[in-house]
Parts: sequence; C-alpha cells; structure tokens
Amino acid sequence: MQALSLSFLRSRRLTIEVRQKIHLVPRIAIIVGAVLFGLGICIAILVSRDVDVASIYDEFIVFTFLNAYGVSTVVVHSTPLVLVGLAAAMAFRVNYWNIGIEGQLFMGVIGCTVIAYYDIGPEFLRLPLMFIFSLLFGALWALPSALLKLRLNINEVISTLLLNYIAYYIVLNQVFGPWRDPKDNFPHSPAYDDFERLPKVGWEDVHYGIVGVALAFAFVWWVIERSRFGIQSRFVSANPRMVVAIGLPLSVITLISALSSGALAGMAGFTIAAATEGRLTFQLAGGYGFSGIVIAFLSGNRPLIVVVVAFLMGGLYVAGESMKVFYSLPDALVGLFQAIIVLSVTASEFFARYRLRMAHYERV
Amino acid sequence: MTAALEFQGVHKSFDGNPALVDAFFIAERGEVHALLGENGAGKSTLMNIACGLYSPDHGVVQVNGEPVVIDGPMTANSLGIGMVHQHFKLVENMTVAENIAICHMSSSGRESLNAVRKRIGEASRDIGFEIDPDRRIDTLSVSEQQRTEIIKVMMGGADILILDEPTAVLTDEESTRLLDQLKSFAQQGKGVILITHKLREVFSHADKVTVMRAGATVEASCDPGELTPVELSRLMVGEAAPSESLELRTGGDVVLELKNISAKRANGTTALDDLSITLRAGQVYGLAGVGGNGQTELAETLMGIRHIESGEFTLGGQVLKRPTPRELRRKGVKTIPAERYIYGLAGDLSVMDNFVVSHLSSGTFGPAWWINRRAILRGTLEAIQEYEILGAGPATRARLMSGGNAQKLVLAREMSGDSRVLLAHSPTRGLDVRACAAVHEYLRDACKRDVAILLISEDLDEVLAVSDRVGIINRGRLVGEFDAPVAREAVGQLMVGHA
Repeated sequence: MQALSLSFLRSRRLTIEVRQKIHLVPRIAIIVGAVLFGLGICIAILVSRDVDVASIYDEFIVFTFLNAYGVSTVVVHSTPLVLVGLAAAMAFRVNYWNIGIEGQLFMGVIGCTVIAYYDIGPEFLRLPLMFIFSLLFGALWALPSALLKLRLNINEVISTLLLNYIAYYIVLNQVFGPWRDPKDNFPHSPAYDDFERLPKVGWEDVHYGIVGVALAFAFVWWVIERSRFGIQSRFVSANPRMVVAIGLPLSVITLISALSSGALAGMAGFTIAAATEGRLTFQLAGGYGFSGIVIAFLSGNRPLIVVVVAFLMGGLYVAGESMKVFYSLPDALVGLFQAIIVLSVTASEFFARYRLRMAHYERV
Repeated sequence: MTAALEFQGVHKSFDGNPALVDAFFIAERGEVHALLGENGAGKSTLMNIACGLYSPDHGVVQVNGEPVVIDGPMTANSLGIGMVHQHFKLVENMTVAENIAICHMSSSGRESLNAVRKRIGEASRDIGFEIDPDRRIDTLSVSEQQRTEIIKVMMGGADILILDEPTAVLTDEESTRLLDQLKSFAQQGKGVILITHKLREVFSHADKVTVMRAGATVEASCDPGELTPVELSRLMVGEAAPSESLELRTGGDVVLELKNISAKRANGTTALDDLSITLRAGQVYGLAGVGGNGQTELAETLMGIRHIESGEFTLGGQVLKRPTPRELRRKGVKTIPAERYIYGLAGDLSVMDNFVVSHLSSGTFGPAWWINRRAILRGTLEAIQEYEILGAGPATRARLMSGGNAQKLVLAREMSGDSRVLLAHSPTRGLDVRACAAVHEYLRDACKRDVAILLISEDLDEVLAVSDRVGIINRGRLVGEFDAPVAREAVGQLMVGHA
C-alpha cells in the first residue's frame, strides 16, 4: 500500500491511492473505456489518411459485423485466432511465456503435410491422422523449451522465440526443396487431395474447423475452470514456492500446460492448412502466433473472453484487408491497430489499481 | 523547546476505510518516545506519513515547528527523518553493502563499495551488531535483515529516528542492547520514536509514551512512570484480555524423531549441526533461539524442501530417506510457515482456492476431472465459521485479509484432514494480542487431538507460554532441553551463549 503523490498545490493535491479491491462493473468500465480510447486513436489515424468517418463505420462495423457474408468471413478468420489465443492462455496462466506459438503452428502444418504428402493411412482416416499429427508436432515443438526451462532453468521466452525461426526455416527448406510443388514449381507443397481438406459446413466459407474450435474451447474451459488441475495450476503463477512446499508437482503442471499450448497452436496450423490454404505455404502463419499473445493478454487468459476477443480481432483482420484493397493502406495497419488497443488496455490497468483523489493539506 | 515532529488532526483512510481519525502526536528531541498500540491502531500509518510513504488526507505535519509537506522518502530524509520498517525494505538478491550503498548514493554521491563496507564495519561495531557486508540479503535470517535495516538508517544520519517494532525479532539481551543504544542517541539530542506493543520496553526505556487505539490518540506524551502496567494495557486494548492457565501435558507416543541431523546453507556455512529432536503426540515442543541459528533450515527440512546431509528422519517409526513435501503432507506433517505469503498463501487467489488447494487429492471436493464447487464453497464457509475468520468471504482475495485472519486461514487449512505433526514457525509474528491468543488456542486444541506440535519461535514469551517441553537452538545445535515450567533466564542465557 504505497501512495505516490503529485504536488500541484501546497494545500490541495492530487493523490494516487491504492484500491483495496475493485468491483466488476468499474473494472469492465475501465477496460471498455480503454478500448474506446484506443479505437479513437485508430479512427484518427484513418481520418488522417483521408478515409472519411462514414466509410470507416461501413468497413469496420457494417460490412464486417452487420452483414451475413461479413460475419462468415470473420468467423473463418477467427477460427485459428481462437486456437492461438487459447494456446497462449494455456501457457501464460502458469507463467510460462510461450512466445513460440508461431513456430508450433508451423510445425503443426508440417505434421499434417507429412501425412498428406506421403499419403499415409487410408483415405477415410487421412483427415483424422492429419489432425492428430498437427497436435503432436505442435506439442513436440513446445517440448524442448519446456524441458530446458524445467531442467536447466533456461528462459523460455528466448528459447521459444528462437524455435520460431528454426521452424520457419524448416518450412522454407521443405517448400523450396523436397516438397516444392512440381505442377507450378512455386515454393509451396502440392495441394492436398479433396479428402485431405476440411469440408465446409454450408455457410459461405465457414468450415468444420469451427467444430474443432468448439472442442478446443470446451477442453480448455474444463481444464481451467472445472478440473482439479485448474485450481492447482492457478497457484503455479500465483505462488510457485508455495506449490513446491505443499507438495504439488510444479514441473508436471508446467509441462502439461506448455505441451497443451503447443498442441493447440499446432491445431491452429491444421485449420489454416487443411481448410483455408489447402497446402503448406511459408506465409500461412501470417503473424497469428503474436496475435495469440495479444488475445490471451486482452482476455486475461479466460477462455470465454478469448473467444470474444478473437472474434473481434478477426473482424479487425477482415476490415484491414478491405482497407488494403479499397483505400490502398498498408498491411501494417492491422498490426498497428492491435498494438494501439493493447497499449491502451495495458495502461488502463493503472486505473484499476489506483484511484485518483484530491487530498487537503492544511497550512497553519 | 519546539517539537521535533508534530502531528495535528491527521486523518487518513485507505479506499474508504479510516486508518487515522484526528490523530495527534508530539515528539521532542532528547527523548525516547514510545508509540504504543495494538496492531491496526494506526501507529505504523502515522509514522509512514512522517517518512513520506503516505500523504495525509487532512491535517498538519510539522518538523522543528515548521509545517511541511513530506511528499516522499527523499524529502523525509532531507528533513532528517529515518525509519526502520517492520517489513524490511531490502533488495533480496543484493548484498548488505549494496543495499546500504543504494540508499546513500544520492545524498553522499557515488561512494565505492569498499568505502561503504568499511563504514558498515564501523557503524555495526558502534551499535554492537555483527554483520557481514558481503552476505546476500536472502541468505540472512529475519533478525539479521533487521540489523541491516537499523544500520542502514543509522548510517543515513537521521536525527529523528523511527523504529517500527524493532525488538520483535531480537532476543532479550539484544533488545536491551538496542534500546540502550537508542537511549544514548536520544541523550545526544536526537528524537527517537519507538513503535511497540511491548509494555516492558515502554517502562524500561521510554521517556514518554503516546497510546493509540483504533486510529485515534487516546493518551499523548505521558510519563510512563505515572502509569501502572495495568492502566497502560487497558489504554491500549480497551480492556485487559484474560490470560488462560494451561495444564501440563506429558505427551504420548513418539511421532517424529530427528536424529543427529546436519545441513549446510547454500553458501557452505553450517546451518544444522548434529541436531536431535523428538516430538510426541499431544505435546508442544517449543524451540527457542535467536533468529538465524538454523530455525529456517530446520523448518525447511520438516517441510521436505531441504535435504539433510546426514542424520535420520523418522516419522511414525519409519525412517524416511529424502522425504518430499508430498510424502510428508500425505503422512500428516503440516506447516504454519514463518512467511505466510511465501509458503502459506497465494495472496492473489481467493480464500476458497487457498483453503482447498492442499485438500483436492483427498476427493472430498470431487474427482480430479470434475471439482465439486458446491462442496468447496461449503467447506470454506465451515472453516471460516469454525476458525472465526473475520472480514473475509470465500471469494475474498487472500492478500486483503488482516494478518490474524490470514494466519487463521492457514491454520484452518493445515488443521483439517489428518494431521499428526504440526510445525508452527513464528506463527504469531506481526499479529495483535487477540489474534495471538486465538492462534495459541488453536495450538492447544490441536494438542488435545493428539497432534505433535513443534513451535519454532524467536519470541521467548510465546515459547514459555505455550510449550510443554522447551529446546534451545544456537548455531544450529540443540544446546539445552527443559520440561515446563522453565526458568526464563536459563533459556535466555543458552540462546545467546556461545555454543
């Protein structure tokens, strides 16, 4: 309980006071306020690039969220976003900073492409095998960093980050080398066969990946909110020394969380490769890994909010795409907007922790 | 004579909860001024205003007769106010010399670590403390850390010296030496303010006493010689709490036995040296000693987080080799740790989570794949009621509870389920009189249920009041054992003697 103070005047001054607790309503109000503040800055940037307010409204609200085709596109875009968001949340909640989601996603795609490229298994089992291999490869790619962290106390931020590059170069090696498509000689793998692709559910481009997302969400929600593991893992981030002292398996909890995180990232890769792209390309990760970190952060690692934030983030992607096409604005815009909103929300934490108040200091 | 430090009509509230209500206080130079009150009476809050950590909502603060705005510790420092806090302000992974150098860097410019080291040597000789300037803070015991704090402030050249319960972790002899030192500071013309709740210190060393209760000043600048201990304690707590007499317990079967155990600290020094202790069912074994003599390492051994180098650890007749925390807990060895928020509670999680976390595997709260949230809620509510945990609901974050209630929560968790051995390490540190009494009451209750209790405490009064058998630890060795009733002086001598 430290109170900082700013002296404006000698007799009256603004003091910053630590809040003992904050109720849900003001807490939500602060976050919503921060998001609106961030959106305000984003709108100002767009207006400065000669986009008028009416078309901003049209692109970001009407064509993305108030129109059936728009919503379906957003759903397609959010499918991998929910998965990477859940992946990050799963790791972050035990203070395991998995920055390697992008690499694990790539390895997931390699996993399912191995099955597709070498035609492993009968046709009707092909898709399930691809799914399982993407999970396995994603988890395997998360394993070395987790072991290094647990055995040798090597910082997982560094090791997971660096494994991203290794995964990326493995992908480049495959698509420029052994897996280059002989049909067009472009650097991507040959297209998957029809039975190796996730079928569509019958609403625009929305595919069965959303069922996977629903299952993944249910799994993560159950683990975090309803399983014994969930309560125990809460203590891993809240007080690791206590976890050891009361005899809970700290390493096992961290390892399981890290591997689940990798598997979910691999699954995100699977939905992109098997549904949207239909092959392995070296651009397919498209910054998803880092969006996952943003989504988990904004949602406070809560699975239900991950879904909501990922959906809104999907909208941002879709609107950003059309801004690119119709207003020739750069790609970086989406990243910039993400960053602005994240910074606003981070900064708003100050108002959740402290309260500003005028105090009187009397002169004699 | 103008007062060194004066407060008039000071109000302060935290998030709507008043901590100070129209408090006033005047300290003069040349005196040791005791600020007496229960925990939560507002003593520390008032003094934190003096040292610039809090700003008052309302009211006047004067130093040397001049109204001042103390807007930070630096300002307080320049006004000559220095405070030794109850919770130490030290950087754990730095050495004593580095911690002290950081504090004096801005005032005296950059000084080489060697010079600081030398000055620490001089200062600690003056005060009569021994401290190795090159030890890292996290390898020091609580009492050694406090010595560092006291040396830090004294080296800062403060002439209004505030000490928040400085003797809480010292032995009688060390306390007397410190208080004598403070007295001589006062005689040199400095103002010394001593926050305390020990009446003995007030009568032996204070020139003036101010008593606070519930955020208000109830007696100001009074001569302690004019009051009797009973009057003073009545001013402090409102009414005297009845002390309970206890019957002696001889103890039943041997439950836990440590035989000739030895352990080293991370830096290679000997922590435990050929130590043997026997705990019996239904008996409180009190281990007295000055902090830093191996108590922490012994506690860690019993928690299973430190491995002994030699010796035998026997639990229920069975020799355990490298016992793990999990194994020990499953066999009923429970702990009330000295540092509540390190080994006992996760401050950011709810009371409910903190209560159930170590009971989940029992199955009472549902199977591994589906926790029974209703059972958890019910269990927590029952514990809150049974242990009289006040001001907290199941969803309250553990950090928001007062020290006493947080300790009751730890007790509630550790005592439910099968317990055979209870390790209580400084279980009442920082608690007020009533919370102390409640904790002691629970220890006695546990005793009646045939639990073997090891009470490790640096508070000799506590050890003598609760224990059936008393052991004294000094430099990692057991230097004496007595059955209650124990002569206070004999124990005191063994605590500070050269073992």
